Amino acid sequence: MSLLELGYLSFPVLLVLIFLRAPIGLAMMICGLGGLWLATGTPNIFMSKLKSETYSTFSSYSLTIIPMFLLMGQFATHSGMSSSLFKAAESWLGHRKGGVAMAAVGACAGFGAICGSSLATAATMSRVALPELRRYGYSGGFSTATLAAGGTLGILIPPSVILVIYAILTEQNIAKLFLAAFVPGLLAAIGYMITISIYVRLYPAAAGTREPVPYAERMRAMLEVWPVLLVFGLVVGGIYLGWFTPTEGAAVGAAGTGVLALLSGNLTWKMFIDSMIQTAMSTAMIFFIILGAGFYNGFLALSQLPQELSGWVVGQGFSPWMVLTLVLLFYLAFGCLMDSLSMILLTIPIFFPVISALDFGMSPEHVAIWFGIIVLIVVEVGLITPPVGMNLFIINAMDRSTPMKETYKAVLWFVTSDIVRVIILVLFPSITLFLLGG
Amino acid sequence: GTASSTVAQEVTLRLHQFLPAQANVPKNVLDPWADKIEAESDGRIKIERYPAMQLGGKPPELINQVIDGAVDIVWTVAGYTPGRFPRAEVFELPFTMTDAESMSRAYWKLAEETMMDEDFKLFKPLGLWVHGPGVIHSSKPITTLDDLNGVKLRAPTRVTNKLFSNLGATPVGMPVPAIPEALSKGVIDASVIPWEVVGALKVNELVGNHTEFPGDALYTTSFIFAMNKDKYDALPDDLKAIIDANSGEDFSAFAGKQMQTDDAGPRAAAVERGNNIITQTPEQIAEWRTAAQGTIDEWIAEMDAKGIDGKALKDRAAELMAN
Amino acid sequence: MLSHLVERLARFMAILGGLVLTGLIALTCVSVLGRGLNTLGHSGFLTSLSESGAKALIATGVGPVQGDFELLEAGISFTIFAFLPICQLRRGHATVDVFSTGFPHWLNRFLETFWEVLLSALILLITWRLFVGMHDKMRYEETTFILQFPVWWAFAFSFGAALVASVVAVYCAVARTIELVTGRRLKSDAEGEVH
Ligand code: NA
Ligand code: NA
Repeated sequence: MSLLELGYLSFPVLLVLIFLRAPIGLAMMICGLGGLWLATGTPNIFMSKLKSETYSTFSSYSLTIIPMFLLMGQFATHSGMSSSLFKAAESWLGHRKGGVAMAAVGACAGFGAICGSSLATAATMSRVALPELRRYGYSGGFSTATLAAGGTLGILIPPSVILVIYAILTEQNIAKLFLAAFVPGLLAAIGYMITISIYVRLYPAAAGTREPVPYAERMRAMLEVWPVLLVFGLVVGGIYLGWFTPTEGAAVGAAGTGVLALLSGNLTWKMFIDSMIQTAMSTAMIFFIILGAGFYNGFLALSQLPQELSGWVVGQGFSPWMVLTLVLLFYLAFGCLMDSLSMILLTIPIFFPVISALDFGMSPEHVAIWFGIIVLIVVEVGLITPPVGMNLFIINAMDRSTPMKETYKAVLWFVTSDIVRVIILVLFPSITLFLLGG
Repeated sequence: GTASSTVAQEVTLRLHQFLPAQANVPKNVLDPWADKIEAESDGRIKIERYPAMQLGGKPPELINQVIDGAVDIVWTVAGYTPGRFPRAEVFELPFTMTDAESMSRAYWKLAEETMMDEDFKLFKPLGLWVHGPGVIHSSKPITTLDDLNGVKLRAPTRVTNKLFSNLGATPVGMPVPAIPEALSKGVIDASVIPWEVVGALKVNELVGNHTEFPGDALYTTSFIFAMNKDKYDALPDDLKAIIDANSGEDFSAFAGKQMQTDDAGPRAAAVERGNNIITQTPEQIAEWRTAAQGTIDEWIAEMDAKGIDGKALKDRAAELMAN
Repeated sequence: MLSHLVERLARFMAILGGLVLTGLIALTCVSVLGRGLNTLGHSGFLTSLSESGAKALIATGVGPVQGDFELLEAGISFTIFAFLPICQLRRGHATVDVFSTGFPHWLNRFLETFWEVLLSALILLITWRLFVGMHDKMRYEETTFILQFPVWWAFAFSFGAALVASVVAVYCAVARTIELVTGRRLKSDAEGEVH
């Protein structure tokens, strides 16, 4: 069997392993090892690489950003910022039709500005907002769906772990990707709020109402959220203005959030330990997948599959827009089954050369950034599409009284809003790129 | 494996290196070399090229990849693994280089005399060369030694790192691809690289000052282009001969000369942008040279500690270059 | 008893890794601050404000931490290796369970055990290769760029953490296998530890 054939064959094999519940990083390692072994007749290449590649992957300066952003999210969770964000948003929006749900989305957007992960945002905001939503008579399915969708803002609004990984895989500038993600992230929040207001008009029974809050109290609640603005401004602003590298920005953010959490009095020793353990679990999970993807992608490169595939696509003379549409549909379909990080690590080395080889009438850098933001959105949709949606699972675990089926039903409205946004961003690249000056 | 010795056997060699395919060295040195080998062997040797670390790992791992046979050929920077090629460092000492072609020739010769059974004993060197004269690219003009004071600077090698910290600058460590972002944001104020690299990194658009040391270069970097030993030994004699004919002193000299030739484009682009090119006079260079002597002495002492006669190496290198 | 011991070991490593991470964050912040003050001291702004003030600031020798990149890289690798045990012990590794809900119970139990054993084998393999890699770095006397400490030191710290990960991995594999064969639950699965 030729190397190229092995390359193509490895993909279904990998999927079978994954669907047989193999840990994703392990499955990629097995395919990388098996592929290299079959291709060269010995396991030597794999063994030789393994001598130093685990260390070099785990010691990567740019990947250091990941545990730092995760720890920052943990500190933010324990700092009380989540509840002050929700209170502030609720004081302004709560009395409207569906207002408490809108407030939850707004608070998720605010929290997303200091947290790099969707799951952490969904879990943290659910802890604060879920009881309130239920108290004001919001239906179980609508409440959980709102928070699951809101959680995706954790990744869509910078800083974002997925964007960091995309930037490293495609050798793009992290600061520019963060900047480009900003407007689409805001559009996501606005889209979710519009979805909520449509939903509560169609299903008035799904949401209760609440008395307006006096303006003085609203202003007071706004003043409480300054730490969030401070940290966001320092981290994202500092990275963009060049006060520090993205990794240094993550360190500054983690330290700043930790100090704020300490000052708030909420960060006890026990919570500190808890933050460490949670960060350890997520970090190890992510790095193990990155490690596996490194070996699998090394094998794919050796098989020349990405070059062959992109050469074939270009040779067919397909319209660039059609190829892009197919790639995005692929992500949407796979997002129903897989988590976003694994999908990015698995597919970007294959799809990115394909997309880069096509002419969209933009500079290569702009195509890379624009494609990155759109892919970010479609893989994040995967977090809330049934049946496998990590955000849905997390929130469902926190609200056992709501059957999963009801969450599934209500969340489709938010998925629709996501798809509409993707279409808009694909048709108008300048929405993503105008902040970059293009 | 029942192929008889009379039947020509196909050999595929995997060439792995750290730069993108369209960069100068892959385009102007490695590809022509590989194309020539393929042509002269009538296609019996195929050289698959994997740029930009496509097969995995980080650039410092290249040398182990070729030793272990994970790949067959690599092109790498000796200084990526500080301490591992102590003798090759002699060419990186400040103010040692006149021009890249004669220095690359000297590097190969000195390697044949002193390094093949030492630094390079675990692989088969195909070419050993250096790049054109190193230049300081800075946001503020650096005319005299004093201007270096407090400048945050990315130095390319272990030796230049020592040199610049001895001269009062603050060396900041970072990989080459991080340079543009760091420069554009003031994380560093200056970068020391040859012109050839400047184009790809757009350094001439990020800073406006370039300090040159004509005829007596501030520094250069030693490269290694090497093949796995077993893979080479397993080749039939006629294919070995093709590899040999295209490797060694002349190829090294060609590669060094080509890299220095590639300096011209980005330099012209900088001039066209109206950037400030600061040319050090021989008198000024003499001052730098005096200031750099301490770094050279330090290096010789370090070599002595390793049981290597650093002084003799340096003298012999100078002798070879003079011829 | 053993399960508690392993759980504590994994927790200890996670916390140790977390503390190292915290230290690296502090180091990075100090470096950023030092670099910022150094830049300020050399800036036209401060010099025009107070020449002597600027000179005094520079004279304190304030600047970025030498070799901060290298320390960060060496430290973070230890951290990640130290994070591995808790992730494996509490089954934190990402899997896709969408199809397995339709599998018969015995198949799921078998698959769980099978992957656990394979995962443990991989961690042992990684640890062994890391040791060989460390040996290479010792033999070739490689050092880092700026601080010039031997690279094998960094490997050694990571190897230490990887050894603990191996111990935990062996425990997980053995415990899972015994469970499969006997049908009894050995591993606490950290119940009651869910946050
Ligand atoms: Na975020
Ligand atoms: Na999904």
